Amino acid sequence: MDDADVALRNLTYRLFVEYGRAPAVDEVAMVAGLTIHAGIEGWRRLADAHAIVLQDGTTTELRMANPFSAVRTPYRVHAGGRWWWANCAWDAFGICAALHVDGKIVSTCPDCGEVIEVGVSDRRPDDDALVFHCLVNAAHWWDDIVFT
Amino acid sequence: MNLFRSEEHVSRWLDGRPPGATLTVASLCELAHAWWGDRLDPGWRPHTRAQNQALLDSVGLTGEFWKLP
Repeated sequence: MDDADVALRNLTYRLFVEYGRAPAVDEVAMVAGLTIHAGIEGWRRLADAHAIVLQDGTTTELRMANPFSAVRTPYRVHAGGRWWWANCAWDAFGICAALHVDGKIVSTCPDCGEVIEVGVSDRRPDDDALVFHCLVNAAHWWDDIVFT
Repeated sequence: MNLFRSEEHVSRWLDGRPPGATLTVASLCELAHAWWGDRLDPGWRPHTRAQNQALLDSVGLTGEFWKLP
């Protein structure tokens, strides 16, 4: 990833947080001073480098800027005065970590469907009874990142 | 990568499938802060594989399951 692509990646993340939603490629390109084509090509290279994830079959729509999700998921996070979607449980805590704030995660247990709410304060969860399960081993996380 | 009410709920959800790795939520929170803490830094640079492996190691996630490609 060259310096220009790192800058595009960092701008994409900054706009995600500023807007409170996934930015569109034309929005990022405009702020970066790039053509839309150059923005699309940059996002393609970032996706190839696993720095972002694009929606299946598109080159212009974000799916993930981990830990943030551009689409609805079972993991909602309240942090920094806004609600966000996280890609998974790991990313849900990651949103508090990335924003450097306390927060609250709301989800449901995949087994029983009961609502799970857990607060994060000073980098610690407020419910120690919960557990996290990672089904896929690290060597295969990016084989299918949406499933992972 | 899901959050469950307890290990019993994980076992029931697996329904015979081979398990992956189960962590306490405190360990997950520690991992998340180590892994994602720099993602919005203005000067963020991509992590190397070795850096990411070291982050996993730093929170005690070692062994074959946690070995990055």
